[in-house]
Amino acid sequence: MQSIKDILNSFDCEFVEDYKKVWVKAKLNSKDDLLSVAKKLKENGLRSLSTVSPTDFLEDNIMEINYFFEDLDTKRNLWLKLDLPRESETCNIESLTPIFPSANWHEREAYSMFGVDFLNHPDLRDIIKSEDFTGKSPFRKDFDWEAHEKDNLTNVQTIVDAFKKEQAENEVDLDTDSSETILNWGPTHPASGPIRLRVHCDGEDIIGIDPDIGYVWRALEHLITKKDFIGAIVSVERLCFMDNINSMTAYAMAVEEIADVKITPFASWMRVLLGEVARVSSHFMGLGMFFNNMGLHTLAMWNMDTREFFLDFLESYSGARIATASVEPGGVRYGLDMAMFNELQLAIEKFDSSIGEVEAIFVKNPTMKLRAVDVGVLSAQEIHEFGLSGIVARASGVKTDIRIDEPYAAYAELDLDYIIQKDGSAKDRFEMLFHELKQSVNIIKKAKKKIEENVASGEMNPTKDHMVKVPKKLPKGEAISRVEWARGEVLMHLVTQEKAKTPYRLKIRAPSFNHTMMLDHLLQGQTLSDIPLIFGSLYICQGDLDR
Amino acid sequence: MMQTITQAVVFPGLLYALIWAVGLFWFFRKFMATLHKRVGPKFNGIAGSYQTLFDFSKLLTKESITPDGVNPYLFSIMPPLALIIAMLPSAFIPWSDGFIVVGSDYGLLALVVLIGIEPFLLFLTGFGSNNKYSFLGGVRILTQSISMETSFFLAALSPGLLFGTMNLTSIVESSTWFSFLILLPGFILYFIALLGLLEQPPFNIPDAEQEIVYGFYTEYSGTNYFLLKIAEFAEFMAVFAGATTLFLGAYKGLLFDSYFFFFIKMILIAMFMMTLRAATPRITMAQMLRFSWKYMVPITLINLAWVLLAKSLFFMGA
Repeated sequence: MQSIKDILNSFDCEFVEDYKKVWVKAKLNSKDDLLSVAKKLKENGLRSLSTVSPTDFLEDNIMEINYFFEDLDTKRNLWLKLDLPRESETCNIESLTPIFPSANWHEREAYSMFGVDFLNHPDLRDIIKSEDFTGKSPFRKDFDWEAHEKDNLTNVQTIVDAFKKEQAENEVDLDTDSSETILNWGPTHPASGPIRLRVHCDGEDIIGIDPDIGYVWRALEHLITKKDFIGAIVSVERLCFMDNINSMTAYAMAVEEIADVKITPFASWMRVLLGEVARVSSHFMGLGMFFNNMGLHTLAMWNMDTREFFLDFLESYSGARIATASVEPGGVRYGLDMAMFNELQLAIEKFDSSIGEVEAIFVKNPTMKLRAVDVGVLSAQEIHEFGLSGIVARASGVKTDIRIDEPYAAYAELDLDYIIQKDGSAKDRFEMLFHELKQSVNIIKKAKKKIEENVASGEMNPTKDHMVKVPKKLPKGEAISRVEWARGEVLMHLVTQEKAKTPYRLKIRAPSFNHTMMLDHLLQGQTLSDIPLIFGSLYICQGDLDR
Repeated sequence: MMQTITQAVVFPGLLYALIWAVGLFWFFRKFMATLHKRVGPKFNGIAGSYQTLFDFSKLLTKESITPDGVNPYLFSIMPPLALIIAMLPSAFIPWSDGFIVVGSDYGLLALVVLIGIEPFLLFLTGFGSNNKYSFLGGVRILTQSISMETSFFLAALSPGLLFGTMNLTSIVESSTWFSFLILLPGFILYFIALLGLLEQPPFNIPDAEQEIVYGFYTEYSGTNYFLLKIAEFAEFMAVFAGATTLFLGAYKGLLFDSYFFFFIKMILIAMFMMTLRAATPRITMAQMLRFSWKYMVPITLINLAWVLLAKSLFFMGA
């Protein structure tokens, strides 16, 4: 940590300070220093750039850029801030992509949403937003959404025209005598989900892939600024339906930090419990999708069978099976009726009785190994460079898990171990999912036991302890929070203004964004058969890809 | 004349193929559902048995769309042609004792050729669809059929070699428990090649929905899709019936001989195929090619040598 501070102190900084346990927070005065600072930081071991998050301060006429650097090995992190002028002509900065490849899409996103120009970026095109926003910066505070929405028909026509133009032109450059072609893999493809990969291929061999994302763009980060602090949870949880609870936990933690509220032990244990239930339900889907993508639906069906029992518990607790809205700033939304644990017990028993045959038939499946053992290999070096997280990082042997690195809720009291695989292939990522599934169920068992014991001894009151009051108006401030989401690290950067009733800005750093960036790298030189396999093994959810 | 029409339209012709397709489709669904821990079709008819009927009649009445830019003749002639070719092998099969539509001395050859020609028709459907995915599917089906049919033919010929005849009725009549044991390796090879020919897992590469959007099926809808589906199930029947005739003694039963045993044997093969389908993911084109040319073809050749050896050891004296 000290070495990071030393580096920063050698430059012109407004402040350099410690933030939480594993962060250094600093602000650079001059944007000219950025490149040299970044180079030094990389030499120092901060090899991953987690995300780039601009905040638009309309009144101060400032575009503040936040860089989040991480070192996955030594768990040192840096939050670097920088002020830029707001005017679109001068709102530019050197791109960090040549030094940190993981910055690539994040800078493109900042460019698309805020109109920040990144100089020397290798591929600065619009991303996520649809063609009717071309030339506009929808997340700037002075963007007139109502005026934009008024021309709905024209907007739709623009999108259609752009698509037709692309289809007419995308093969013009190809050699007419060759067998090269451009395939649209998605957005209405049986295995793609709402994403489109422009696959440049020669027969069955892939030459390159250019993902086109944004088909489920809901502008969540903007939507949240239109809601109050509690109402925002329903937007946050729609990051991805498969694991909705951990994303709410991240948001709630950021609000609590600004409001300076400490939640009760019962609430933090409930967050662990609910979060792991959500993780289990997500991993079940991920395991099933992996085999679905190889044309085998049995595992997905079996998993659905068990997953229903876990959703039963969520339903009895919150009234909803998928979008539970059950974690809010101050704790968890509902008190707990101890009878609800009976359903959780049923789910655990169902899991224990059925997981053995899943392992025997699918995890040890020889045909699966034949397919997946050599493809989609990511080295530990690439994990660092491209800022990958979650099961993808751990499958390559990188020990990163926010639950252990920066414990939140009650994870500090749990004795967790990193689960890792060595080779980083598609098969390893599949096995990671399986092993983490078992780990999550173990955590559920421990958390359940802990709550039951404490309730029995009277230390926790399940009907009253679930919530601490959080004021409706928050002071000016900002906070970041990280959670280990089912797909990897989610980082939220929350900014509030004086006497705020709504968030001013919430940046959600979602793991699938980085993972999708890897598709081109992983699929070059492979065949068409490997697209669904590798795509499925990266555990991508289009919800958090587009936000 | 009347008899020929009955045979063409009722048994073992169109109506039989239709009933078989509907029945097998329903059975596949129910059987697969059990393996998946699901219920399967449930509400219409006994155990959801009408559901498939409704699905097929829905497909029949749906508009059959011919996309822009395709050759409409090639696009629309292929599905009926595929169905007819897929139904033809039935004529050469001895369905029960003494019942055979075309009793030919070259029945085995006719069976193998008619089964082997089907993938080329499906290739043409993909070729005529003017769709990149369909075309890729067509190319895949061609590659796969060329590789798999070699071993399929060689495996199918082993009974003919053993009994010294290509007449299917004589093959069935000469088959015994002992000859079944001799032909067992041939049967296993035939079954593996059959999976490749019928595009069943792990060889469902040509119509891989996750990779190339069902390949040659992509552009087909309505009646044409219905015809292709029926053709697929008629093809199932032809290949199962071929396996039963060549290796399992066709209609020969435990106490009495009847079509009933023929049917049971076909369903057993179908069930085995479905169980494999429920537990095996798809392999890639390259892996299939390697498997076929590196292992399957040499092993089928060795199998032929084994059959010849067995013949000279056990059958020459008789």
